[in-house]
Amino acid sequence: MRILVAEDDAISRTLLERTLQRAGYEVIAVEDGAQAIVELVKQDAPRLALLDWIMPGKDGVEVCREVRRRKEQAYTYLILLSSKESKGDIVAGLESGADDYLTKPFDVDELKARLRTGHRILELEDHLVEARESMRFQATHDLLTSLWNRGVIVELMSHEIMRSRRERSCTAVMMCDIDNFKSVNDQYGHAVGDDVLREVARRLHHSVRSYDMVGRYGGEEFLVALNKCNPESAVSRAENLRAKIGGCAIQTANKPVTVTISIGLALSTEFTQCTVEELMHQADIALYAAKAAGRNCVRVAQPSGVSKPAEEQPKETSVLAP
Amino acid sequence: MERLGGDHEFLRELLVMFREDVRMNLEKSRTAIAKGDYEGLSRAAHTMKGMLRNLSMGTAAETAAALEKASKESLQGESKELLEGLTKELEGILPEVEAQLADAKP
Repeated sequence: MRILVAEDDAISRTLLERTLQRAGYEVIAVEDGAQAIVELVKQDAPRLALLDWIMPGKDGVEVCREVRRRKEQAYTYLILLSSKESKGDIVAGLESGADDYLTKPFDVDELKARLRTGHRILELEDHLVEARESMRFQATHDLLTSLWNRGVIVELMSHEIMRSRRERSCTAVMMCDIDNFKSVNDQYGHAVGDDVLREVARRLHHSVRSYDMVGRYGGEEFLVALNKCNPESAVSRAENLRAKIGGCAIQTANKPVTVTISIGLALSTEFTQCTVEELMHQADIALYAAKAAGRNCVRVAQPSGVSKPAEEQPKETSVLAP
Repeated sequence: MERLGGDHEFLRELLVMFREDVRMNLEKSRTAIAKGDYEGLSRAAHTMKGMLRNLSMGTAAETAAALEKASKESLQGESKELLEGLTKELEGILPEVEAQLADAKP
């Protein structure tokens, strides 16, 4: 574990440094408060700090305040070092954000014991942060595929569409549906169906750019938003996604299964007055047209209400090729 | 010695540091008191108090603590007296430190 020691007196500093090194710490020693702050707000800063109360420039209390002010940092356990006369100031020290204090000259066993308390608090903090992050992930992602869940993808798309209107760029919204998915479940069972959903999600996710968005809309339906998309290339990019899914069999627990997807595409530039819900509805209408045209193809939503065939007309492939 | 974990080489290192820091801080104290700079005086006294306590030099440490307190209250006469007292005490300690350092030489 790394620990910061801020102490202006060279003898105290050396003594602390040596004692802590013997106790197995990696010590970063500095001579004043300003340097302590620099070290403590760094990325990957030490999580434990021993701060002398009285130092030239910024004192220990000011360091505590500054570190606490920057709340985005992971918690740092701060121990103030004070001489025995200044006990009256301890309340002020703790109120500045220190977790504990130690009287100089320190007793080695007491120092170690108090640092162990610090370890316990930091461990607790880490567990809480971990639990919070895991809950945050669960609240925003689909459990099976780890894609954005429906609520989040719609929300993100809504922001993206507003932004693309401001910036006069285009967002392409794609409603993608696995063709005849029910028969996969019926024929191979739900475990294989889940494998297929996971793999389709993975392929979609890996086939778009990092600033595009992929979410699970429901069942076997996925939403893809291509941000800052060139309207002319939207169809070919949709075709590319379609080829990524149908072009290669999915290795499931039991056997390889090939599935295809149909895609309904709507461009925000074609529906300039539409909300995200209306745009999704347009993509959905185009998806129905793709299904009606024989599946495994892309259809584009038109303001006139007619989905024109995508540039290349795929021939329908057998859904459950072994 | 307990805090040093019985490390004589380290004690030597600290004593060398002590010898230099004492000289420097006594010098600072004299300059400060001559200028009536009680803040500077109390800082120097605080530093000396810390190092003396760390090396378990109790009597001198208490004189330094008293000097820190007196200078914080800007007590001219008392500060002067205490600084003289502390200087004498340190003059008594420094030869001992020198002797230790000579003994400890490999």
